[in-house]
Amino acid sequence: MANVYFELTREFNAHGPVAALSSGQAVVYYRLAIMSKDGDWIVRDDQNACERVLTVLSDHGARHRPAAPLDTRWLQGGWSSHFEYFDAAGRRIRCDFVSRPPRVPPDALAPMFQQRCDEGLLVVDREALIRLKQTGRAKDYAVIGELARQLDPDREIEWTTDVDRILTLSDEVEAVSPRPSVRAARSGASRAAVVAALAQELDDLQQRDRARLRAYQRAAEAYLEEFRRMQLDTLPLRQAHDEAVRLADALLPERLPEKV
Amino acid sequence: MSMLSEDDLNLGDMTDAELDLAWDLWFDIAQTTNDWDPPYEHGVLVDLERPYSSASATTGSTRDARRAGM
Repeated sequence: MANVYFELTREFNAHGPVAALSSGQAVVYYRLAIMSKDGDWIVRDDQNACERVLTVLSDHGARHRPAAPLDTRWLQGGWSSHFEYFDAAGRRIRCDFVSRPPRVPPDALAPMFQQRCDEGLLVVDREALIRLKQTGRAKDYAVIGELARQLDPDREIEWTTDVDRILTLSDEVEAVSPRPSVRAARSGASRAAVVAALAQELDDLQQRDRARLRAYQRAAEAYLEEFRRMQLDTLPLRQAHDEAVRLADALLPERLPEKV
Repeated sequence: MSMLSEDDLNLGDMTDAELDLAWDLWFDIAQTTNDWDPPYEHGVLVDLERPYSSASATTGSTRDARRAGM
């Protein structure tokens, strides 16, 4: 049997590119690790793409998990939408969507949705995936190190989380780098100083992501509470989604009041 | 030194079909831990501990019922 999330990606994109596989399943696609039970996609930033995804999920009998509607009004504000169903074998399939993933500039996403989907699976490119993986979770930084190793050296040096590679590449690659760890290595600092600079970089990234999530979670409290009270996750998907949009209109800010 | 184990990195030597089979076997086994998974692995709700009602929080019994098509 094929990877169910790869198959779903093909279904979403059967009539044109609408959803690019990302995060854990993209890590599987790039053959780095089998590490995620969920599927994550970046959905193209328009209502037609959302409609197509909802149609496919509805056909699978999915339920709307407590989360923002799959609607550009909220997705463009950085919110995520979450769905779940059980496949014919009784396995839980979780499907997560964003259209404005954190840290990935919109102009890096546009070319993805200009690909012909019959040429292969639509998957985020490695550098976008690295940006997505710069989360608050420590485990993602090992994956970033391995993804970076698949890049050319002049790009690897901008992303690697491996101190040995920083020390090696800082001699081999000439391009200027903004990274404190690379600058430390090039200045002739001790290995311990490069390690410390790298650790600080990674901690800064983790703290920044955690602060971003806290802001969203505070803003979602009233909406999620009402979503749960109304048990929208028990309704057929289309009905649940319509209700979720109405609820979000009342309780979920499309954009957060402050930049996070 | 590689940052992931050889068990992870040998995926690169697999054919597409072998990778599909390996993932599918892993996914089957991984279902046994569904009840202990965090509610969200990705997205902006990822740190929420207990965000939703029993309706979509899959208990062992509901999962078994769904497996049985009940």
